[in-house]
Amino acid sequence: MADFPLPPGFTAAKMSQAQKAFEAALGADKVFFTDLDRIGYEDKFALDDRRHHPAGAIAPISVEEVQAAVKIANQFRVPLWPISRGKNLGYGTSAPELAGSVVLDLSRMKKIEFDAANGVVTLEPGVGFYDLYDYLQQHKLPFWLSTPGNSWGSVIGNALDRGVGYTPYGENTKNFCGMEVVLPTGEVVRTGMGAFSKAPTWGLYPFGFGPGWDQMFVQSNFGIVTKANMWLMPEPESLMGMDVEFDRPEDLKAMVDTIGPLRRERLLQQSPSIGNWLRAAAVLTTRKEWTDKPGALDDTVISAIRKKFNIGWWGVSLRLYGREEVNKAAYKVLEKAMNDIKPMVLKPTTWVKGQLLEYSGWTGTPMTFPMQNINWYGGRGGHIGFSPLLPQDGSLALAQFQRTYARYKEFGIDYQGSFAFGERHLINVNAMIFDKDDAAKMAKIDPFFRQLVADAKAQGYGEYRTHLDYMDLVAGSYDWNGGALRKLNEKVKNALDPNGILAPGKSGIWPTNYAGERKA
Amino acid sequence: MSKFTLVALAALGIAGVAMAQGMPKPTTLVDRPNATGGEKLYIEHCAMCHGPNGMGTGLLARRIQPALLEQRSNLAAAYVITAARRGIGNMPPITRGEVSDPDLKQIADYLAAGPHLPASGAAK
Repeated sequence: MADFPLPPGFTAAKMSQAQKAFEAALGADKVFFTDLDRIGYEDKFALDDRRHHPAGAIAPISVEEVQAAVKIANQFRVPLWPISRGKNLGYGTSAPELAGSVVLDLSRMKKIEFDAANGVVTLEPGVGFYDLYDYLQQHKLPFWLSTPGNSWGSVIGNALDRGVGYTPYGENTKNFCGMEVVLPTGEVVRTGMGAFSKAPTWGLYPFGFGPGWDQMFVQSNFGIVTKANMWLMPEPESLMGMDVEFDRPEDLKAMVDTIGPLRRERLLQQSPSIGNWLRAAAVLTTRKEWTDKPGALDDTVISAIRKKFNIGWWGVSLRLYGREEVNKAAYKVLEKAMNDIKPMVLKPTTWVKGQLLEYSGWTGTPMTFPMQNINWYGGRGGHIGFSPLLPQDGSLALAQFQRTYARYKEFGIDYQGSFAFGERHLINVNAMIFDKDDAAKMAKIDPFFRQLVADAKAQGYGEYRTHLDYMDLVAGSYDWNGGALRKLNEKVKNALDPNGILAPGKSGIWPTNYAGERKA
Repeated sequence: MSKFTLVALAALGIAGVAMAQGMPKPTTLVDRPNATGGEKLYIEHCAMCHGPNGMGTGLLARRIQPALLEQRSNLAAAYVITAARRGIGNMPPITRGEVSDPDLKQIADYLAAGPHLPASGAAK
């Protein structure tokens, strides 16, 4: 009996045989099966690190080595859990859904090729935002990234989980244009124009001929993406905009109803995110500096923190990108629209090429400091988020906020929320920050999360992305016509992966041989 | 409040803090063209969190000065390796898939030989 979890039906001897086969195929320096390795690939931000404990990890460095690993996985029926760089903090990091899986760590695959004429970069999964940022500067390439608040991770890994940034290219998954994928049975396929030998348009036309498959490999367990083309935004001539603060919780309605039409009209081409005061404050200070009272913060403390840092109840940054003359004209429209709803503060910003750049998410600069918020409660911090999708409707957004805020107070958790714009939708990110050393508070998180899922479900709001612990729960909430979509997903899964070796349980998609592992 | 936290606030789009142009540029290899060995590996694997404006620097600044690891004179190589492999505080572990044992040793030896940056000014 092994002293670490094994996949259902596995023995330690069988896992040891698989380990030896991986070592023979990849070399022992790419195979990691010590206790320390297993702990390293757990999810340190999770409610329970041990729940998604892997059996080990392997780190191939080429598509051929990925194929070799997949062949061995099929031979031994050992489940693989692919990660790009494993920095998906709050969603599972490097840990597998199914305990006992072997992590397929692609962080050593770091090749970058760039088509400067068209602004198309071809990336392997191990390329992080800082790597690509450095590459653009080393080669003096006038393009900007679209970076998330945690830019430690992989560029294509983020897009494969539908992560977002803050520039006009901020819906990162929309920037894919062709992929190379190793299927669960080991064959390699290229999507879009990559299917056409020697086509110079692989990174230019995303659809190819017939069905377009790129999104099939996003948030799925249908293949291992070993390479992908992504479009980058040409550096604009000018950047103009404003940072705007609003004083009252109820101001959310007017903010959404003012920004939404400008976004849909595409006068605003980036993806603004309205955040509450704690999104800013949790980066700057800790709770203990303000109070030692249990339960959610009261309005007196909130007012004191806001006053100290001079921040609104809600804040949002708006930016215009492109030709200077066009931006100047659009700025007048934007400025009037925002002043009409009476902000507490409106602070303009402007930049033209050649001036000192604002090093922030609005210029595609990679960053990690927003993650400082996990220290809000002190101790060993962690977080998960509940992020349902809403229409761009101020009344609905305000009602969702009020409903959720009441739940935070009921469960005694400080509210950190935001409403991020897409072109037609809002993502309502509700962060749950916790101190893993506080057992009493930790016990509240799971029932709290489930309550929020149920509340949102009652309104018709489903999550866009979730932590490993809740993939089955969220997949189950997509229940139209008896869960027809999940049935389709699993029909495709079983056809592509007859041995069920690739990421069983990802996004609530279970192959038949692990169907019993689905959780409530 | 330190300059560091002020620029972090501005970066989140918080108006009322007139620091939007003050955010430091992230340190990457293009900024250290002569870096080799442990220094180069440190920039590649650690500077995103432990460089100016990184999460690690910001959190360490609440407890210890200097917060930038390259300014420290009291980091033992064995401590660096243990902290990286097991994780520490809010820092998750760095796995062998991401940074091999030989590379981590070079990084640890580099930090143990510090300080490499002057104690003032580098974090600006």
